[in-house]
Amino acid sequence: MNAKIDFSKISFLIVDGDKISAQVVYDTLAYLGASHIQRVKTPNDAFDVLRSEKIDIVVCEWRLRGMDGLEFLDVMRNSTNSPNRFIPVIMLTAHSEHRYVTTARDLGITEFLAKPFNAKALYSRLVSVIARPRRFINTGTYFGPDRRRRQVQFDGPDRRSLDE
Amino acid sequence: MTHYDWGSGAIVKPEEPMKKKNVQIIPAQTDLKRRAVNFVKGFDINLSPEQLEELEKVVQRSSETFVRDIGKDLMDCRRMIIQALGDKTKRQDAVATSSDLAYSVKALGGTFQYPLMTQIAKSMENFVADRTTANEKQLLVIQLHIDSLYVILAGRVTGFGSTVEQATVAALTKLAERYEQPRE
Repeated sequence: MNAKIDFSKISFLIVDGDKISAQVVYDTLAYLGASHIQRVKTPNDAFDVLRSEKIDIVVCEWRLRGMDGLEFLDVMRNSTNSPNRFIPVIMLTAHSEHRYVTTARDLGITEFLAKPFNAKALYSRLVSVIARPRRFINTGTYFGPDRRRRQVQFDGPDRRSLDE
Repeated sequence: MTHYDWGSGAIVKPEEPMKKKNVQIIPAQTDLKRRAVNFVKGFDINLSPEQLEELEKVVQRSSETFVRDIGKDLMDCRRMIIQALGDKTKRQDAVATSSDLAYSVKALGGTFQYPLMTQIAKSMENFVADRTTANEKQLLVIQLHIDSLYVILAGRVTGFGSTVEQATVAALTKLAERYEQPRE
């Protein structure tokens, strides 16, 4: 029997200033059965929602008015004022060049989705966030989901041992 | 301890013990998984091709809105560019609006089966990136990009088009490279 995801149990926040892009994500989530979906245009509005409601997953555009998506992510992950440092964030962006992906990854993004995207790509990111949660890593310079997705054999010294 | 190696005849210094980084590993948050993943209700984790097709139809629902809204934005932006050609004070706004429009079209064109628009918008976005203003020739380059986008949209040219359309994309990119300087 296949495992299923009941999207009605999850609350979403879409942060996107582009009306059409936000609508596409909203329609997709609504079709999947999500009943609690909030839409805002700016990070400041997003923080207001995150402080007043229980949100499980944030879907955020990189290019936003005022504070951009990366700054928003930085505050979420690293600020003492963050409403929830562990919240999964799916970053949507038309900046799909490698340097953008690595920048977002190093700031603690959970999933990255390059635009233009299709339904399959969006769904796979949602599944990954919900069904395959990753452990978090906290170092002096990074706080976010484990960036090592694949477990490969490594013969070198273990520099990630737990604190003694 | 430093010692003399009789085999190689060298003084050997011991390796510095590696400093362990202070790393805190926090177990994965499984609350979402516990709440939403089950075997009874919802969508399969691995969707069938038919289910994916249905989901793609949902995405395509906004296709008409895209054509209507972007069509209007292209016309508005073109108007701003033409005004900016005759009025230097309007150039900053025209360039900023062009940049926003280029990003939107680049982001959404391919989603709605207009990858050709994404290609042209990418060229336009590169051209206007980090500019606060543009000279007359540069404004004309932006206008040519906008006109091309409008033609594709009005003609509903989905997919990557024929060799003619691809040649147009290449020509626009070359034109943008030629008039790239000065970048102010």
